[in-house]
Amino acid sequence: MRRLLAGLAAGTFLLATAACGSSGGSGTSGKAASSGGVTTVKLGLIPIVDVAPVYLGVQKGLYEKHGLKLSITTAQGGAAIVPGVVSGQFQFGFSNVTSLMVAQSNNVPVKAVSNGIASTGVQGKDFNALMVKKGSAIKSAKDLEGKKVAINTLKNINETAVRESVRKAGGDPGKVKFVELAFDQMAAALDKGQVDAVCVVEPATATVRSQGGVQIASPLVDVAPNLTVALYFSSQQYAQQNPDVVKKFQAATAESLAYADQHPDEVRQIVTTYTKIPASVLEQVTLPKWPAEPNRSSIEALEKLGEQDGLFKSTPDLDKLLP
Amino acid sequence: MRGVNVALGAAGLAAFLALGEAVPRLGLVKEAYFPPTTRVADALAGELADGAFWTALGDTLTGWALGLAIAAGAGIVVGVVVSVVPYLREATASTIEFLRPIPSVALIPLAVLLYGTQLRSVLLLVVYASFWQILIQVLYGVQDVDPVAEETARSYGLGTWARIRHVLWPTALPYVMTGVRLAAAVALILAITAELVIGAPGLGARIAVAQTSQAVPEMYALILVTGLLGLLINVGARTVERRALAWHQSVRGEVAV
Repeated sequence: MRRLLAGLAAGTFLLATAACGSSGGSGTSGKAASSGGVTTVKLGLIPIVDVAPVYLGVQKGLYEKHGLKLSITTAQGGAAIVPGVVSGQFQFGFSNVTSLMVAQSNNVPVKAVSNGIASTGVQGKDFNALMVKKGSAIKSAKDLEGKKVAINTLKNINETAVRESVRKAGGDPGKVKFVELAFDQMAAALDKGQVDAVCVVEPATATVRSQGGVQIASPLVDVAPNLTVALYFSSQQYAQQNPDVVKKFQAATAESLAYADQHPDEVRQIVTTYTKIPASVLEQVTLPKWPAEPNRSSIEALEKLGEQDGLFKSTPDLDKLLP
Repeated sequence: MRGVNVALGAAGLAAFLALGEAVPRLGLVKEAYFPPTTRVADALAGELADGAFWTALGDTLTGWALGLAIAAGAGIVVGVVVSVVPYLREATASTIEFLRPIPSVALIPLAVLLYGTQLRSVLLLVVYASFWQILIQVLYGVQDVDPVAEETARSYGLGTWARIRHVLWPTALPYVMTGVRLAAAVALILAITAELVIGAPGLGARIAVAQTSQAVPEMYALILVTGLLGLLINVGARTVERRALAWHQSVRGEVAV
């Protein structure tokens, strides 16, 4: 037995050194592999409804048509995707516009390449909603002064948007208390009365609605009509060195976005392949809009509001950031 | 004796599951957020029928086993070397005490930067967390060596390697086994946490997808699986410990009583 343990210890030590040895080469794994005219690129995504067009585009062969093979890696939120793209783990990623502007103002070399998603632009019928509990005394965003509002990330796009909703309703956003809470926990927190309002996105919006939650504003719609909410991006270095790959990715993604926008039923179908959203909830989900191009004036509006709220170190350079 | 223990253990688990069924049914917690055991069991059956679940389970176990093996190997080697080489213990003590309390999850941004969402990110966290558990136990174990036995070995002319093999190792082994048992549990927790937060493939990532998808019964089904996995790992580690220490008085004494 003792000999076995000694052997085991020696074996694991070798394994450890082997693992360390191979990790030294990880820097090169970021390079795109090319064979037979087809380039394989790694794309970092969050498994949510928003990225359905890419999955649909792969299924419909739109990326293949442009000579791209997507290797999709799912990560749990932007915290893993931005560093993943900048360090070359992924060639492309998906992130909301404010996060990209914050990164850019901090000199993180990100470069947006394609549109991601846009708000529907319809008050009361957006995938993102500011909601209160059934029977709440809060009737409009103005009433949120002195109240607790849950948002998924402080100092990011949703805080900017909720502040704008409060401002537009004639209230003082400085008097609203924001608490950070994951989207999936918001329904329960609202129900329990731990927060007075929640800023949710699908599928949590559908869940809150099914509990009788009342919508008091559409924050993203309040920021700008047809607001571009998220973008696909790359690192500046990769975009500079591989302009042809970026062009292929742009063309294929634009086609995928347009296809998804016109085929909502197929979108709902493909969402079930990479999320676990129950069918009953999926039917109730309000889909975002997927225009092929980002809407620059809406991003400028978001930038102005973000600057007003002190989100950026310096003014983000949209000419450098946007495709 | 053993049969009674197993029966008691099973009764405890059954009572817990019954409680899980009753609490939401009685309306103490909303069913939407805490589904009764039967609905979770339904979801669990669905998971077991899904090939992707088994792949995720395999990914988690790979991360756990590999991480634990690396941590155990490194912990034992470093522990023995630090203890045996004069002055090294004093030179490293403060560094170890400084590094040990750093929570492994705080290293997530570093792991992502270095390795993205791959297995290596999970390994970094798992190894960091479980290495200290084993190292500290090895250090304590070596400290416990009877100086008389050590001096006797020296006066009989045993070399460094022979003394490690015949005096130090048998004394330290019970401590090492305790360290490995603790590290096995920590490694599982960290493997699942890393998957949950980073999104590396595995049960944790599956829990996260269920969470963001508002698929509550599936989420609890997967959490249940991680609990069962922890239970199995603990039972396994205890068995290994008993076998490896069959000669030691702590285990022999237990049998005699």
